[in-house]
Parts: sequence; structure tokens; C-alpha cells
Amino acid sequence: MDFKLTEEQELVRQNMREFAKTYVDPIAAEIDENSRYPEEVIKRLSAMGWMGMPYPSEYGGAGTDYVTYAIAVEELSKSCAATGFTMSVHTGLAAGPIFYYGNEEQKKKYGAPLCNGGALGAFAFTEPGAGTDVGAATTTADKDGDAYILNGTKTFTSNGPNADTYVVFALTDKAAGASKGLSAFIIPKGTPGLRVGEHFKKMGIRASQTSEIILKDCRIPKENLLGQEGIGLKIAMGSFDHGRIGIAAQAVGIAQAALDESISYAKQRVQFGKPISKNQAIQWMIADMATEVQAGRFMYMYAAWLKDQGLPFAKEAAMAKLWCAEMCNRHASKAVQIHGGYGYCKGFKVERLLRDAKITEIYEGTSEAQRMVIAGNVLR
Amino acid sequence: MPNILSCFKWVIDEAYIKTGPSLKLDMNFVDYKISDYDKNAIEEGVLLQEKFGGSVAVITVGKPEDTKGLKDALSRGPEKAYFVNDTSFSDLEPSQTASLMAEAIHDRIPFDIILCGEGSSDLYAQQVGPRLAEKLDIPCICYASKIQVQDNQVLVERKVDDGLEVVQAPMPVLITVSPDINIPRIPGLKDTLGASKKPVIEIAGSELNAVSARLETIETRAASLERSGRKFSGDQAGIKALVEALLKEGAI
Repeated sequence: MDFKLTEEQELVRQNMREFAKTYVDPIAAEIDENSRYPEEVIKRLSAMGWMGMPYPSEYGGAGTDYVTYAIAVEELSKSCAATGFTMSVHTGLAAGPIFYYGNEEQKKKYGAPLCNGGALGAFAFTEPGAGTDVGAATTTADKDGDAYILNGTKTFTSNGPNADTYVVFALTDKAAGASKGLSAFIIPKGTPGLRVGEHFKKMGIRASQTSEIILKDCRIPKENLLGQEGIGLKIAMGSFDHGRIGIAAQAVGIAQAALDESISYAKQRVQFGKPISKNQAIQWMIADMATEVQAGRFMYMYAAWLKDQGLPFAKEAAMAKLWCAEMCNRHASKAVQIHGGYGYCKGFKVERLLRDAKITEIYEGTSEAQRMVIAGNVLR
Repeated sequence: MPNILSCFKWVIDEAYIKTGPSLKLDMNFVDYKISDYDKNAIEEGVLLQEKFGGSVAVITVGKPEDTKGLKDALSRGPEKAYFVNDTSFSDLEPSQTASLMAEAIHDRIPFDIILCGEGSSDLYAQQVGPRLAEKLDIPCICYASKIQVQDNQVLVERKVDDGLEVVQAPMPVLITVSPDINIPRIPGLKDTLGASKKPVIEIAGSELNAVSARLETIETRAASLERSGRKFSGDQAGIKALVEALLKEGAI
């Protein structure tokens, strides 16, 4: 039993903190306000090796363990949850399937640029009628000689408008349904028949871009099939399992930022002749926040550690994602409460944190979907 | 092509020091960092090497467990580290550090340019650089804001009270750098992970002649500002009272 991070992990945390303080803090409010994708920051992250952390160095990754990767996501998310999420969804959901299920050629051609070539990845899974109910997917991939022809509409695709590489899910066998008939494809940007549809105007993580992806007679060579036909659902569910560790880490980053902001505000805000931090009501809120942030951090680190050990981690990742998401919503809300009227206004970071927090309970599996996964595991 | 050696000190990160009851300093939960201006010394070593070639190494004096500092320093670009260490090397005063470092460097480590921060983040005594130069019997230039290497000489700009002084010295030379000389880089992920693979040459305290401390720390306390807490109104009478009070205190 060892709760101590390695010296490398501590330095990774320190250097990501320094990066975020230098390049992200100064623009975080602006990119939220304008819903602007911070391309310059993402390109810099890629050049500095942060965009393919857990993948092998022969493909441009850094070969870190998942604990180290999750620590970096937490630190980046403390400054900007949207930028942290862009990194997390790119690494976990887009690059993940290519490195875990792709062949040598696919890893070289599509995986490596995602790691250190400045390319951004997206994961197109959700459909208008198929959210948590993945079985309702209707996008199809019909075989045509040496190619597949994809038709359908994907929605809520994170990084959709900016991605260079899409991992797209479609039915190769309609009769078999999603469980046996879904397959995953790699589609590069600019492929005829792939079009970015509506851009969504979101309540939070506004600097992360989300859109529809519309496929109309989109012809994909069979070399772009990931793994084999029919394992799409397995690829997607496996990707969500490790992606959730990233979201849990992102949620802890939001909660830690809420705590940091609350402590500093409570110490300097004077009411009734003394700082409000002297009031027990405020102290108890801050004590609860500090306790639960710590608990959440242990949860995501434990799930990541299990993955690093090669042990089953799906249940623990779901638990970490569920708890951290709900925890960060409680505490982002408390942070606004501590800030009072000021916290409800633009210009104070906690206002952004509260809007950013909500999505962690929704994407990469809603809190309800996490409970389904957890119940399925413990009631087995 | 110069052999460059940047010196650094592994210090308590002041952000973690809490003030306890009766202004006592609580150091129970502190973390450590490379002294701020020593980061400039390391960065300048790497920049000079990139520009003028040669090699760049770092050296530090500390306790055997202070290995995180070596990784941190190596992630910033130097090729190797010299680690002068002993369990007794804690809270060393500048004369001790300079003496140990001089002995470790002399005959062991090739150098043409030694770089130090102008002072440390904790003591800011600004002593180690000049003392080290004296012990190695080499020229010393303090508070450099620009360094250039020409043939066997360094050309150094130093900001002085009413202008800029440009001095020249033959190598080997010791230069202490001001924080405005550069902006230390933020190590990338691969630099951070690659640091563990770079060589660390250990120089044990037992190989050196330890010097005893000449100073004794009797007490350390937090600085405090006593406030009288008087309030003045914003009207004419209040402003008059404020001015009178400030005059009485000798503040204006």
C-alpha cells in the first residue's frame, strides 16, 4: 500500500500546473465567453508531448501509466475544464480505440499524428435517437467491394468541428443489432460524404466544440475498419471504461478549483467586521469540499492504478466517474454560495465552474448509466 | 566550446509555509522546489549551450533524499548532474555550501563557465557565487542580465543603478544571473520523463572536508504587520483627522 506519487508523477503535476498557469489561465474566461476553441493551446500541448500520454513512444506517445495521465487531466481542468476535456476526449476516446484495437498501419498513420503531430481526434458514437440506449443506433456501413459506405447522423460529437481524425461507429450488420453488428471506423477529415453539421451552443465547457457529424454515402476503404466487423460495441464500451477515468479526473480538477477559489475568497471577504472564513457556516462548507475532493481524487487514482496493473477496472472507473461528477456539482454550487451575489456574476471563476460541472454528470455515460454499470457488477 | 556548470539549491517552497500560533513557522507540510533564480541559471546554461555549443551540467549540494530536485533540474535541458550529498548536508550556510562545492568541482568537474542565481529564494544571502569564485580563484561577475561568449572570453551585461555596465572576463569564469536574463522554460512531458534517464554523478560528503557552520539560528518567526485598525470617515472632518494622525505617526 503506497499513497505516494513517484517523483516523475509529482514533476508531471508541477509542469502541467506551470503550463496551465502560463498558457491557459490568462485565456480561460475569454474562450468560455466566446466559445472559442483554443487551437494555439492544443497545438502547444501536442508539441510538448501531452496529447498522447499513455501511448507507446514508438508512435510519438510518452508511454506513461494512466495515473500520470489522469493527474495531468486534473491539473489542466483546474484552469479550464473545457481544455482539460478536449485533451481527455482526444486521448481516451479518439486515440484509445486506435491504439487498443488498431493494426500497425493504423497506429502509424492515424495514431502517431494524434500523439505528437498536432492532430485532434473525435469519437462519433451518440446518435439523435441513441444516447444511453446504444442499441437504437441507426448509422449504417454497407460493404461495397473493398470499401464501406456509411450513412447516418451522429450528434454531440466532442471536438467534432475541429477534429482531424474521427472514430465513427456504424452498423455493418443491421439484423444483428448494436451488440453484434456495430463496427468502428477511422475517418480522416475531408473525406467526401463526411460533413460537420450543427454546432451546439452549450451551457458549459464552451471552449470545447461539439457538433453533429453527418455521413452521406461516405466511402471508407476497408483498411479503415478498426479490429474486425461486429466488435464496435466492445470497442466503444472499453473506450468509455478508460475515458471515464479522465472525466473523473476532470471533475476533481473542477472541484479543486472551486475549493481553491472559495478558500481565497472566504479569507478576504469581510462581513460583520471579519473575514467570512471565520464563520462556522463557511468553514463547514469548505471542510466538506476539501474532504470530498480528496475522496474523489483517491477514487480516480485507484481506478487508474487498477488499469495500470492490468486488473479489471470498469466498475471502479464507473464509481469514480459517478462520484466525482456529482461531487464536483455539489461543490461548484457551494463555491457560488460562498461567493454570494458576486459568484453568480461573470468575472468570478466559480460562475464558470458551476456551468462546466454539469456536463460531467452527462457525457461519457450519464450518472444513471454509471449506476447501471455499477449495479450490473455488484448484483451479478 | 565551453563546459557550462549551473548551480542550484533545493529549497522549501515558501507557498507551503504556514504561520502557526505566536508567529511560529509551520514547516510540517512543505514541498520543495529549485530556488527561483537558480532556474534562470539553469536556463541560461542551456541557452548558452544551444548558441555556443559545448556541454551543460548542473550541480547541487544536499541530502541524499533530495533526488526530485535533480530530476527537475535535468528536465530543463542539462545533460547530467553532479550531486554532492550527505545526510548532514541540511540547512547549510553559504560558506559551507561554497566550500563543499569548490572542493567537489576542483579536479573533478571540467568547467569554463559556472552559473549561479543571484541569490537563493530562502536566504537570499547572495554569497555562494562570489565565495565559490574566490575559492576556485576565477573571476566573478554578479547580477548578469546578458551573457555572450567570444573566443575565450565572456561579455556580460549587468544592470547597475544608473545604467548598463558591460564587462569582459576570460574563461573560466563564474557569473551570477538576475531573473530578467531569461524566462525559464516549462519542461514538456518527454523532458520530464527523460530526466530520470540522464546520468547523475554522486560525490559523497565523506570524500570532502566538511566545514563547520559559523552561524547559529536561534529563532525563526513570521513577519507581521501591526495594524491599529482605526477608521476615518470620508468627509472633510475625517480626512483632516486622517492627515493629523499620519503626521503624528511621522508617516508623512
